[in-house]
Amino acid sequence: MEVHTSLTGPFPRSEALVRATRDLDRGRTDEAAVDRLYRSTGDELLGIEDRFQLAPQTGGYLTWADLFRPFAMNWSGFEVGPVTRWFETNTFYRQPILHAPPERVAGSLAPWFPAARASVPAHRAKAALPGPFTFAGMLDNRSGETPEALVHRLGRLLAGEVGELRGLGYRTFQFQEPLLVTRPPVGPAAESTIAAYRSIAEAAGDATSLVWTYFGDAQPALPLLGRLPVSAVGVDLAETEPTSLGRFPPGRGLGFGCLDPRTTLVEDPQEAAARVTAAVDLARPTEVWLGPGGPLDLLPWDAAVRKLAALPATRALLAPNGGSA
Amino acid sequence: MSAAELFPTQEIGSLARPLWQLQGQRGARLTPAARAEFEQWNRRLEFADPDDPRVRAFLDGGSTSTPTGLVRDWGAQFAIRFLETAGLTRVYDGEARRVEMYEHAVRQMGGFQLLGHVRSFDNKYYLKGAVTGEVRLEHPYDLEEFGFVQAHTHAVPKLPVTGPYTIVDWSFNEYYLKRQAAWMGRDARQRARREFVVDVARKAIRPTLAAMIERGCRVIQVDEPAAGTHPQEADLVVEGFNAATEGLDAEFAMHICFSDYRSLFPALLEAKRCRQWAWEFANRDTEDHDAYAMLALLREFGDTRQVGLGVLDVHRDVIETPETVQDRIERASRVLGDPARIWVNPDCGLRTRSLEVAYQKLRNMVEGARRARTARSGPGSGPR
Repeated sequence: MEVHTSLTGPFPRSEALVRATRDLDRGRTDEAAVDRLYRSTGDELLGIEDRFQLAPQTGGYLTWADLFRPFAMNWSGFEVGPVTRWFETNTFYRQPILHAPPERVAGSLAPWFPAARASVPAHRAKAALPGPFTFAGMLDNRSGETPEALVHRLGRLLAGEVGELRGLGYRTFQFQEPLLVTRPPVGPAAESTIAAYRSIAEAAGDATSLVWTYFGDAQPALPLLGRLPVSAVGVDLAETEPTSLGRFPPGRGLGFGCLDPRTTLVEDPQEAAARVTAAVDLARPTEVWLGPGGPLDLLPWDAAVRKLAALPATRALLAPNGGSA
Repeated sequence: MSAAELFPTQEIGSLARPLWQLQGQRGARLTPAARAEFEQWNRRLEFADPDDPRVRAFLDGGSTSTPTGLVRDWGAQFAIRFLETAGLTRVYDGEARRVEMYEHAVRQMGGFQLLGHVRSFDNKYYLKGAVTGEVRLEHPYDLEEFGFVQAHTHAVPKLPVTGPYTIVDWSFNEYYLKRQAAWMGRDARQRARREFVVDVARKAIRPTLAAMIERGCRVIQVDEPAAGTHPQEADLVVEGFNAATEGLDAEFAMHICFSDYRSLFPALLEAKRCRQWAWEFANRDTEDHDAYAMLALLREFGDTRQVGLGVLDVHRDVIETPETVQDRIERASRVLGDPARIWVNPDCGLRTRSLEVAYQKLRNMVEGARRARTARSGPGSGPR
């Protein structure tokens, strides 16, 4: 059983980036200077990811204002909408307003992904994208499409992005799907989600595809999560009892969110490993991914970095032979 | 106008700090832009005597020798006059002395350690802390700030106070979580949050409010922007509010924004000492979505408290016209069925807008309220 460790998505901005982006808003610096800082901070984070043996790497997705912004800004049919609460957190996103069935604009999103933003080749980077169900559920749909049709369409469009990013060399795709566990779809909504992921799976081919859930207990959604045609499904261990994962079908990959981004307390690797082992013993996954239980951008930079040490330590306990348990 | 007329107006909290105040507080020499800003606004608002030798020294480049406290006083006077001149019924000082609503509050209390910045949205951040020890308070806070406003305004001062639930929700909980036998479980997290909320309310906020009331503070807005973050904890929001105001006699309001208000009911009904809900609406009011229809939920629950009606979007530079403001007030009036319950305000603090944009928005808000009042053909019964 392979054990991988990787970041889940956006990392906090460093204090220097906080200052610089504030200054940019106040007209005290220019975009070129902030861009240089984005790149150097992304490279700094790559070094941290190296140090903690986190691969594939992310560079922190530091330029993304929220999970949907690059899409809302670059795909057709969207308007960047009002400030809206991001699940049960004190962070917000600008809710995309969809006025017409969306369409991709080829080539428009590649500049937002790690290989374009930091010094990491695409084949060593993780492309993190919104999952189709979460994307559809979190936008303001005024397009006239039914929710199910929208999920299906977004799946096809995201598959298009996957195809394009694969062409650029990306080999790992992660879909952020908190809504799958905070508001699990049933009936036609569930089926359209599966259909969306079939489109994505076709585009992904032999690349690794991950669905990462967080902010909620995955147990009620396990039957659906087990049907998604992806390499592995991630669950948030701060919300999900490991013993409930016995309901996950065997022979699939599982991911475990071992770091809780909502607390600065640093996780004990022994306890984290024990929780993962309890789940692994029941679900018998083919591969295991360890990461934060959600994007760490709910923490300040230093606190997030402090917590990362628990990941390689947990991995070492699970896979003392360096990757394979 | 008097609050006995329909549609009185109020602010919600913070204003952007003028450049001259920021530079003055840093002890920096004023740039020409900062000096021009001071002089231009002073001509409009008359917040400082231009012949005062201290003002002259400040403007002539001697700000390095101007005491920080004096610069803050001018900042507060500026904000008070800014709001008064815009025509508001109730004012404060734009939180001119506060760094930010969360950081300011936890800096007054013992038990907290500030850790670093967390993004709220876009390029907006706040400094977030962890509670690493039991919450305690040496002295009630903001008394001097309130005294200054009281002494310098012709309007009714409305004190904004960061609420206990928001302080807890915006903090990392280390101390109260570590007191639990095992901290990784959900039950432990919930117990720890409750202990934390009650301690902040009882040990820090209530003594402060009591001291304020003793000094003549009559209108207090408890800011709970985090209230809607975890709808299942609405009862904890109320428990914190009730503990913070227990046995106190003042006109209390609760400000909530960017939340699904429906999800907080019926729990909010138990906030017995709260006389007004001051809520954000304009941010979500669009051509094809009437945000004010949400007020129907108060009718559903038989809640007859005042409503602080958010009519200005604080996250966009678009200046709402008086007609837009009037339309929003009239729609809300129709839903509530009782215009006398409405106070008119921005969605939230205008801190993220430039001073000029904020001023124009507020002026139009006051004008829109006046038009709505006039359209009602004469004064109705005042807010209860």
